[in-house]
Amino acid sequence: MALQAHSYHMVDPSPWPILGAAAALLTTSGLTMWFHYNSPRLLILGLISTALVMFQWWRDIVRESTFQGHHTPTVQKGLRYGMALFITSEAFFFLGFFWAFFHSSLAPTPELGGQWPPVGIKPLNPMEVPLLNTTILLASGITVTWAHHSITEANRKQAIQALLLTVLLGLYFTALQAMEYYEAPFSIADGVYGSTFFVATGFHGLHVIIGTMFLLVCLLRLIKYHFTSSHHFGFEAAAWYWHFVDVVWLFLYISIYWWGS
Amino acid sequence: QGLKPLAPTDYPHLIFGTSKPAPGLSAADSFLRKNKVPDLQKVFQRSDGLPVHLKLGYPDKLLYRTTMALTIGGTIYCLVALFIASQPKKQ
Repeated sequence: MALQAHSYHMVDPSPWPILGAAAALLTTSGLTMWFHYNSPRLLILGLISTALVMFQWWRDIVRESTFQGHHTPTVQKGLRYGMALFITSEAFFFLGFFWAFFHSSLAPTPELGGQWPPVGIKPLNPMEVPLLNTTILLASGITVTWAHHSITEANRKQAIQALLLTVLLGLYFTALQAMEYYEAPFSIADGVYGSTFFVATGFHGLHVIIGTMFLLVCLLRLIKYHFTSSHHFGFEAAAWYWHFVDVVWLFLYISIYWWGS
Repeated sequence: QGLKPLAPTDYPHLIFGTSKPAPGLSAADSFLRKNKVPDLQKVFQRSDGLPVHLKLGYPDKLLYRTTMALTIGGTIYCLVALFIASQPKKQ
């Protein structure tokens, strides 16, 4: 291989960016076809191609880093900036939904009965399953930190145990939240209460699922010896994302579940 | 062990999984698995001119072609569907 006189990574030509864009086109047009013409075919095609592109793109990044050694400290610094900026953009995304919630709940209109929760809405008891979900996510924040310390201390067995526990807690949260959604006495169609509740908690739940999958991939890589005690940025990125998901839940719990009940 | 960069910029201080597993360890095979990373590093650093997304040969090619077929085919289908959808409804 030719030597390079710099510490950056000039990637091999790759089809994934353009194919990913095409997959996004299929997914969005597919949504339109499903909404307006009751045909899910294009949407399914879009979701499958998105999944295929994601799998191969991230697989290639693992190959470039762990197997080809392209992730120098310079490259890793760039990845850290990138992940931090991405999480910041996600924070702004959620900020919008919190804005919508406070817009409607701080000054409830006469149509809602001039009160929050609106007339006729029976909110969930924040001291029941939502509180359990809070403890689950807080515990998972502890276990992911335990996993990180185990990795830096080269304690393989504990790292695997801690990361596995984190993934299981994530799955437990998702299962409980799915059950709450099913059992809730109100739906997304129940006025602005239903809209703000399900859109905010729904997007949060989607991020929990994404975070759990990210952690699961890290667990598999950990088992396959991909990480070293000093170089494991994939895991750190997953852990940052997971802490972000936890913090969003805390804001959701305090504002929508607790103050909003 | 673990990451071996082309330019030696990273020196792992501690090593994962090189000690022999204790005899009679239970069937929890998660940490009994052999470390295949050095072998994979050799494979992926072969000077064969292949880009990283096709480096493993046939399985990579198959997955790539399937993805291409679905996305390019899907894009054509999508453009046709959008063209049809944009036609005015007959009164």
